[in-house]
Amino acid sequence: MLSLKQISKYYNTGNNKTYVLNKVDLDVEQGEFVSIMGPSGSGKSTLLNIIGMLDQPSEGYMYFLNEPVHQLKEKQRSALYKQNIGFVFQAYHLIDELTVYENIETPLLYQDVKSTERKALVADALDRFNIVGKKDLFPAQLSGGQQQLVGIARALISKPKLLLADEPTGNLNSKQGEEIMELFKKLNQEDGVTIIQVTHSEKNAQYGSRIINLLDGKIDSSIIL
Amino acid sequence: MIKNYLKIAWRNLWKGRVFNLMNITGLAVAVACCTLIFLTVYYEFSYDNFHEKLDSIYQVYNVANRPKGVEKSSSMPTPMAAALKAEYPAVKYITRSGNTGGVVTYGNQKINEDIHFVDPDFLKMFTFPLVQGSSNAALSQLNSAVITEEAAKKIFGNKSALNQTLLINIENREQPFLVTGVVKQYPANSSITFDVLLRFEHFPQYNADKDSWGNRTHMVFAEFNEGYDPAIFTQQIKPFVNKYYAEDLKNLKRDGAKPDANGNIFSLALAPFADNHFNNDIGIVEGNGISKTYPISLVVIGCFILLIACINFINLSVARGFTRAREVGVRKTLGAGKWQLLAQFWVETILVCLASTIIGLLLCTLLIKQFKAIFKSKISLGMLLEPAHLTGIILMFLAVTAIAGFYPALMMVRYKTVAVLKGKISGGKPGKLRNTLLVIQFTLSTLLIICTIITWQQISFLSNKPLGYNKTEVLSIPVDQGTRGADALRLMRNELRNNASVVSVSGAYMNFGRGNDGSSRRSVLGFIYNDREVRTHLQSVDYDYVKTLDIKLLEGREFDPNFKGDSTGIIINESMARELGGKNLVGTFLPMLDGKPKAQIIGVVKNFNFESLHDDIAPLTLTMLKDFEINYIFVKVKPGNLVGAYDNIKSSWHRLYPNATFLASWLNENTERQYLSERRLSGIFVSGAVLAIIISCIGLLAISIMMVIQRNKEIGIRKVLGANVFGIVMMLSQDFLKLVLVAAILSFPVAWWVMSHWLQSFAYRVDIHWWVFALSTALALILAFVTISFQSIRAAIANPVKSLRSE
Ligand SMILES: Nc1ncnc2c1ncn2[C@@H]1O[C@H](COP(=O)(O)OP(=O)(O)O)[C@@H](O)[C@H]1O
Ligand SMILES: [Mg+2]
Repeated sequence: MLSLKQISKYYNTGNNKTYVLNKVDLDVEQGEFVSIMGPSGSGKSTLLNIIGMLDQPSEGYMYFLNEPVHQLKEKQRSALYKQNIGFVFQAYHLIDELTVYENIETPLLYQDVKSTERKALVADALDRFNIVGKKDLFPAQLSGGQQQLVGIARALISKPKLLLADEPTGNLNSKQGEEIMELFKKLNQEDGVTIIQVTHSEKNAQYGSRIINLLDGKIDSSIIL
Repeated sequence: MIKNYLKIAWRNLWKGRVFNLMNITGLAVAVACCTLIFLTVYYEFSYDNFHEKLDSIYQVYNVANRPKGVEKSSSMPTPMAAALKAEYPAVKYITRSGNTGGVVTYGNQKINEDIHFVDPDFLKMFTFPLVQGSSNAALSQLNSAVITEEAAKKIFGNKSALNQTLLINIENREQPFLVTGVVKQYPANSSITFDVLLRFEHFPQYNADKDSWGNRTHMVFAEFNEGYDPAIFTQQIKPFVNKYYAEDLKNLKRDGAKPDANGNIFSLALAPFADNHFNNDIGIVEGNGISKTYPISLVVIGCFILLIACINFINLSVARGFTRAREVGVRKTLGAGKWQLLAQFWVETILVCLASTIIGLLLCTLLIKQFKAIFKSKISLGMLLEPAHLTGIILMFLAVTAIAGFYPALMMVRYKTVAVLKGKISGGKPGKLRNTLLVIQFTLSTLLIICTIITWQQISFLSNKPLGYNKTEVLSIPVDQGTRGADALRLMRNELRNNASVVSVSGAYMNFGRGNDGSSRRSVLGFIYNDREVRTHLQSVDYDYVKTLDIKLLEGREFDPNFKGDSTGIIINESMARELGGKNLVGTFLPMLDGKPKAQIIGVVKNFNFESLHDDIAPLTLTMLKDFEINYIFVKVKPGNLVGAYDNIKSSWHRLYPNATFLASWLNENTERQYLSERRLSGIFVSGAVLAIIISCIGLLAISIMMVIQRNKEIGIRKVLGANVFGIVMMLSQDFLKLVLVAAILSFPVAWWVMSHWLQSFAYRVDIHWWVFALSTALALILAFVTISFQSIRAAIANPVKSLRSE
């Protein structure tokens, strides 16, 4: 479903180019659960952001669902992104001014989903993640684990084919982290959502089907579990 | 979606309520004053626009290129109008027009009315529709009178006015007139105002001037055929000028007049009646025109204030935008399109603008009364409902939301998603834009402060300058219309002879300044002396004039009843003496008036400002000619008890004239009244400066709050490292103070240019001193410093542990 060809990302520092990603090739199939690992600064987040179209590569080609992303116009790329990709962040990034309910609802608003359908979808998600009782609370009133749950519910609300998660358990204690990982596994196995996560934890990486090690902007190893 | 936008907007606005409240306050004040200002300006520009044929009506004036400069005059000779219509085919209608007051008698009531003397074409040119009678016939008879609805009501009550006979007293001659028409009451924005229209043949001096091209007494208005190009008038009319104004041409040539670019030394020209309200350089016009400076400076200041408020809006939105950068980033990752984000922020802007507009309009209703009083404005808020104004308001509203809302929104939308999510933008740099906008705000504010100080200086100079006569102890009493001035003067003199508080009594044709009767007169006479034309202002006076007004006599003597010849003699001022040339002028005879014996100079007085300080002291001749009415009685009283003396004189007046109103005023009141428009301008500057400073400081306050939030951690660290409160306050203030200083310096050249231009209109004026600029700068700096201090001191004395922990 996803194919990166010779993707590079560099920043100009003075006269030199500092490569964050250096000619990365990567293919991810539908239904995979990939964990990306590597030391801090190795380019993990950069890679994930490029896959998630939040950032653009300096060089290289990327195909997503057989579409050449590098050739698409802003508008088409945005549409492709909206319908197929969900993002989960380490810092949750919920919108403080919105309630749990509204946070989850927001992606649907941007996809012009009708009001009745929206209500049904959000109610479903609240139900599924067991946060019905919290729906009118604001993010500040939730614990970190609960916030991340809302973050995931929001990322999944528009039924994306690909879920990207950048250190989703980084700010959580191990028990909360475990719950999130269980959830990911379930999503991957029962709903067939393709997942790519960045993690520092060897244990969390084991939940996936493949581990990619990144070192100095290059894929160092790729282990299929 | 819209519902969602509104909900989110509301929450965001509530969250940033401190800023938004400041924003709304500033903008509401701006909206209120702009509404008042633009309505006023609209009103001034709407003058006379009810005349259907406004664009084809022109006033005729003449231009004489005298050796000393161009002189324009709109006073026309009596036979001119008819001759022009007969000889210049482009003229469709023409009318002469002159004004006086007159007493109208009906039954046993007498009413003072404004009388307009016109030709029958008047009603065909101007849109004064008749509610009774017919426009074509109403002025066809010599004894016809057309009156306004208001006058009809005043004179006849509920009786029908048509075909009633009135007695009207014009310059002491009472004649019967037949009411042949009633004019629909004209709107307040009419330059032409009158109660009664009479045929021009009844204008004072008409019979004497009937065939004279030399005596110029009235205005002439002409309506031209459709499609006529007024630009060709001056050239086409040349033969006409050569034929009828030969005398003027000859005199001008003899005096060394220089022809203008078109080779004319004396020409006739046209001024569009549409500009009448602002036409104050062609001489006499209809109504009380105003200088265009007044509406223009109002518009400029309105725009300044709106601009300053918009700048606040932009600065605050941008500052707030930094704190909302993360939200934008997140929304983008959730699939928000650019336009959806723009729309969201725009809704917030529109809500703020809407609130400001509503509060601003409410503020208007509270302020309109004072505003009308201060600025002599005749506006009403009902005018806002006119379609043109509603459209204007909506357009202005959209423009403000677009300018103030679009840029910050666009900036936020442009943030790089990834950087924002990493928290790299929320720190926020001061930004060139913010600094530029702050500089603009304070440039405008300082500019207005400087203008305020200089206009104030000039006005106090005008009121304090010695004028060469006694303006504090002399009372000027306008003689009522319908009373002979000379009689009134004689009676008052007798009456006051035994009054201990009265020093002396005299009378004259012209007043000083502007009295309670509101009239002003001037009479200029030209005659040939030593083969050269000499022009002099003429003031007709009675005995004791020089003594009553404390005018300094340099040579000779004042008019004295004991000298037989004095009543035909003249007294001249220094300027006149210089004009005549030579020394020892006392005893010289001047050929002043045609057909009268030469007048002997019996005295020379020191120059005094018989006109306003806009003008240099012109040559002046005092005479005792009986051709001029005595219109004002001057009474000089002993110093000490002015109020008592006033009451005393008032009761004497009422003993003599039980029914006449007592319109007396002290001369200094009259001279002050000459500078009403200057005071009005100064009022505009003061209000503008105060508003500009307040709104700018609101913006500065909000920005300083933002800055303190952003630099909280830095402040904490500096304190831990040992910085004291003063050091931190200075650190936080100095960047802003530098900007204010730059702004002030930028305003100097503009202020200097504007003010020296304005001062040019005064023959007597203050110099612009450097300290005015220094003072204004200091004022702006102090106000800015105080504003910032509210926040910076609070931040500086806060416990550093707190601010560091929150990281
Ligand atoms: N705007 C930028 N300019 C220069 N270097 C950058 C920029 N953004 C990121 N980097 C560098 O890219 C490298 C990779 O960053 P990142 O992908 O966030 O690493 P990881 O997520 O693996 O810790 C880091 O060394 C960082 O310094
Ligand atoms: Mg990272």
